[in-house]
Amino acid sequence: MATAGGAAYVTRGERNIKSIYPELTLDLRNPAAPAASIELLTAPARPLPVVFEPEEAVQRLSYLPPLLLDIVLAEGYPTKRPPILIISTTPQWLPDAVLRKLEKEGETLWEEYGGMQMLFAYISYLQEASESVFGIANQVTDGIVRLPMSMKDALVHVDKKLNKDIFEKGTFDCGICLEPKKGAVCHRMQRCNHVFCVPCLQDFYSNCVKEGDVNSVKCLSPDCGKSGDANVDRRTQERLISPKELLQIPLPLETVQRFVNIKRKKKMEADPSMVFCPRMWCQGAIRSERYPKVTDVSRLDESDDEYDEPSKQEQVEKKDADPDSNAKPPGTPHTDRLVICEDCNLAFCKVCLKAWHGDFIRCKDRERRELTEEEEASLRYILMNTSSCPTCNVPCQKAYGCNHMKCFQCKSHFCYLCGAWLDPGNPYKHFNDPKKKTCYQRLMDGAEGDMMNGEIQFAGRRAAEQQADFWEREVFRMQMEEFDTPTS
Amino acid sequence: MSTKRIMKEYGECVADTPEGMKINFDENKITKWEVLLDGPDQSVYALPEVLSVSVRQGGHFKLEISFPPEYPFKPPVVSFKTKIYHPNVSNDDKGSMCLGLLRAEEWKPPNKVVAVLRLIQTLLIEPNPDDAIEPSIANDYKENYKEFEKTAKEWVKRYAK
Repeated sequence: MATAGGAAYVTRGERNIKSIYPELTLDLRNPAAPAASIELLTAPARPLPVVFEPEEAVQRLSYLPPLLLDIVLAEGYPTKRPPILIISTTPQWLPDAVLRKLEKEGETLWEEYGGMQMLFAYISYLQEASESVFGIANQVTDGIVRLPMSMKDALVHVDKKLNKDIFEKGTFDCGICLEPKKGAVCHRMQRCNHVFCVPCLQDFYSNCVKEGDVNSVKCLSPDCGKSGDANVDRRTQERLISPKELLQIPLPLETVQRFVNIKRKKKMEADPSMVFCPRMWCQGAIRSERYPKVTDVSRLDESDDEYDEPSKQEQVEKKDADPDSNAKPPGTPHTDRLVICEDCNLAFCKVCLKAWHGDFIRCKDRERRELTEEEEASLRYILMNTSSCPTCNVPCQKAYGCNHMKCFQCKSHFCYLCGAWLDPGNPYKHFNDPKKKTCYQRLMDGAEGDMMNGEIQFAGRRAAEQQADFWEREVFRMQMEEFDTPTS
Repeated sequence: MSTKRIMKEYGECVADTPEGMKINFDENKITKWEVLLDGPDQSVYALPEVLSVSVRQGGHFKLEISFPPEYPFKPPVVSFKTKIYHPNVSNDDKGSMCLGLLRAEEWKPPNKVVAVLRLIQTLLIEPNPDDAIEPSIANDYKENYKEFEKTAKEWVKRYAK
């Protein structure tokens, strides 16, 4: 009788605990010794650095596999006996000694409580201790926990899954549409942890890729790159988002493919040593190790920022370069002239641009290729309707805004009207100098954009273009007049 | 997208309008806001009220904020409709501004109009002569502040009553 009463008392206590911890499962099959179990989330206050041996790379885990606490309240609890506590984890990433110590802590607590119910206190103790990962990082000198390789998959999986679950349950204010959004429709930037909603990111990045402005595919937060710490800033502000992350947002595969292709094309075009296929219908790049053709964009984890600095490969090449190479006469040795188009597989000579003629044929730089009518027309269109950057010569067309331009490719400042380079420190001086007659006080001319806008009077190269066009028409008009006038 | 966000920002602006500002909002044309801005008291763009009349004598500036269709991916365009003698405002009939977060390459979508309005207010109190759109005014400001102050105040009296 007394036993049953004790069990009932215990059960009531457990039920109370269950109202505090709803995830607790009760097992009352044995009324004499009711049991319970609970999984406790292990979320370190700071991500735990872990090395999976024999690997050397340090991984930082924000979540670890939960602690499973099994409790059996044997007869005599709480007055005479402490609860039986068994702690385990799957896989067992906590050393035995730590688990036993935690269990022992229960007993000590029971003694401190002088035979009162202490489960609630014990569970909160465990939760608190989990924030410092039960002190396991403090036991090693460098603070890095070493675990066997066999646990890697399970631990990384738990970390990812819990990260995702908890992120998806959260609510975030998207800084772009300014709406509160559930984590499930948001994306957290891998490098800087800023959060935006997926539709906004899709909108923005798709548009960047559509317009070819691949250098803007960066985190949108104004805080990125503003920390003042040059190292941190480089990591966040300067770097483009990796194709892999773009696919995770998700962006359509075609968009990411285009993003990768444009980035690659820009790099190749900026390289004067690059040669393209002479077949008019192909114009593919030549096979080259420096610009490997991209087949699977989802594997590209690197967000390269080689626009500003030579790629690692290049640096290595420079180091490896033969010190005598500078002494060689200019030009490409005959044996180095064979190149192959990556698209149509044409083997050709990169000097004369003709189909491969063998190593022993003397050939010259090809003559300037005659332009087809179509090519001439597009070249003409480009000359008429764009101003080009004075530094890298890329043609630009102003969509709207003032005539102080900043090249999207090489970041030079220049004047849209006359094409002059402008001092980035004081770009507006150009428009305020009465001596610069063509551009004086014309900063905002054509602010609506100049697409097919013949009204704006340009200077420099485009002025010449405009005049040439004018005179061509004029001559044509005069000829027509002559033609129309009957001769006597 | 942009309409919804502009409405939302307008709501925020109404709930918490920066001091010395009034926004005239036309529901039929939400992409163009008219902002009435009082020259901040600490600046040369304020004419203190006369004791007998409890209305400010001057320093009322009319601005137009227009939102491009790509907003918030492109920055809003600010122009002073009231003439102002200021290194960072173009001295022509457009009164345009082109600095800081108003530049397309510096603008980030999470920036808001309120930040733009605050930037303008700050610039009235403390012009930025090193990033001037009007170098001659900037030069006055730097080298000959007395003259700058005089002209700026004159212009307020003349144009910003």
